[in-house]
Amino acid sequence: MTDAAVGAQAVAELRGVHKRYGEVEALRGVDLDIQPGELVALLGPNGAGKTTAVSILLGQRRPDAGSALLFGRDPTLPATRRLAGATPQMAGFPDNLTVAEVVDFVRVHYPDPAATPELLGRFGLAELAGRRAGGLSGGQQRRLAVALAFAGRPRLVVLDEPTTGLDVEARRGLWEVLRAFVADGGAVLLTTHYLEEAQALASHVVVLADGQVVAHGSVEDITTRAGLSPGHLRVPSPPGLEEAILRLTGGR
Amino acid sequence: MRIALAHFKEQTLRHLRSPGYLLPTLAMPGLFYFLFEGPDTEPALVTLLMASYAMWAILGVAFFQFGSGIAEERATPWERFLRTLPLSGIQRLAGRVLSAALFAAVAAAVVIVEAHLINPVSVAADRWLPWLGALLAGGVVLAVGGIAVGYWASPRAATPLATLAWLLLAYLGGLWATPAELPSWAAEVSRYLPTRMWGEVTWAAVQGQATSLGDWLGLVAYAAGFAVLALWGYRRDEGASYR
Repeated sequence: MTDAAVGAQAVAELRGVHKRYGEVEALRGVDLDIQPGELVALLGPNGAGKTTAVSILLGQRRPDAGSALLFGRDPTLPATRRLAGATPQMAGFPDNLTVAEVVDFVRVHYPDPAATPELLGRFGLAELAGRRAGGLSGGQQRRLAVALAFAGRPRLVVLDEPTTGLDVEARRGLWEVLRAFVADGGAVLLTTHYLEEAQALASHVVVLADGQVVAHGSVEDITTRAGLSPGHLRVPSPPGLEEAILRLTGGR
Repeated sequence: MRIALAHFKEQTLRHLRSPGYLLPTLAMPGLFYFLFEGPDTEPALVTLLMASYAMWAILGVAFFQFGSGIAEERATPWERFLRTLPLSGIQRLAGRVLSAALFAAVAAAVVIVEAHLINPVSVAADRWLPWLGALLAGGVVLAVGGIAVGYWASPRAATPLATLAWLLLAYLGGLWATPAELPSWAAEVSRYLPTRMWGEVTWAAVQGQATSLGDWLGLVAYAAGFAVLALWGYRRDEGASYR
């Protein structure tokens, strides 16, 4: 996230992005950089602008001002997104397609997709291949959502609350997958409410509040700036994060 | 093309596994043709009504696959997720249109085959092409109408609205009986409806009569109006989906 790291190599970047919906200013000059081999955690309260920032990065929306680049290109062009993968925001799949059919359908969009059995195995879905996607439990749907983000062998994955509803074992399993992906040079943008997750995985943390970046840096930087002792980080619950954000944003 | 075909398959499987869709499109037109018109002995009448019920079947696909289908899907997380894929709107639309074309062909074929099995229908060999062409032309017009419904109706209102329009346009268009049997007030309204214009050109085609330019112009006007509404609704929806 340092200026020296900014350059043509960035996997994704936002520069001075503004976005307004009618009366509401969702983003007010947001900068964001994601480099290869980096896991960036995007934190912030509901309504902070996380979803808008992600949707602009993935080309679903255009910024009113500022610029968005994905692999150095315009993210609103479908071809630009061939090296990116994302999760559905809430797990919501067509009720009457099977897990394998959903995975196969998504794979087709990419030039060099991962094999379906490999994807299913990697995310603990092998035994669910023939089940209707609409009938999965919350945790199973979440795992399918993450598997879809990896379907196209991406170099950037954008994960929205990937571990909400997962049990401890599944959460740790996903963390291992993400660590291996990043170690391999992949880049991850993660939104999460779990500070423990950011601490365990993130090389950088960006805190968004009221449409602005109020803090960015390593996890230690963020908590130091918030005036919290590192001990707070060990509390694996949303209140720990809320406290850091409340202090950083002055309760806005 | 590969991607459009994947969307064709996705749409087709989803609709094939949805009884709420199959009932009005594939089952009801054939069933009603049997209940009201067959078996009958008057070749001219049963042939006309075969054409009418085939139109009603296609109308169902236009309103339920495009109308309710688009309205129910457009607000879902799945549809938003699709916009993060390397996918263009044209590929998605192509898959949807191909799938609807398949269902429309099957829905019409059900009525046509049934009519040939139970009734003395007769269509001259050289009338088949004009007749099927008229079916297709009107089907496209009403499908654009269905897309307009899909982008303007709320997800909850779309299915009741599509059902009502499907029933009223069929009845008032003279597709259930013949226009001559409509009560006078309905006959008056009927003249201005796209289903009646579609009926007139299709009935003329199946009987080997000349079609009227007025009916064709009316259909073109409806197509243009529906297209404007559909595009306007699509733009409006794109602006609103991500709030």
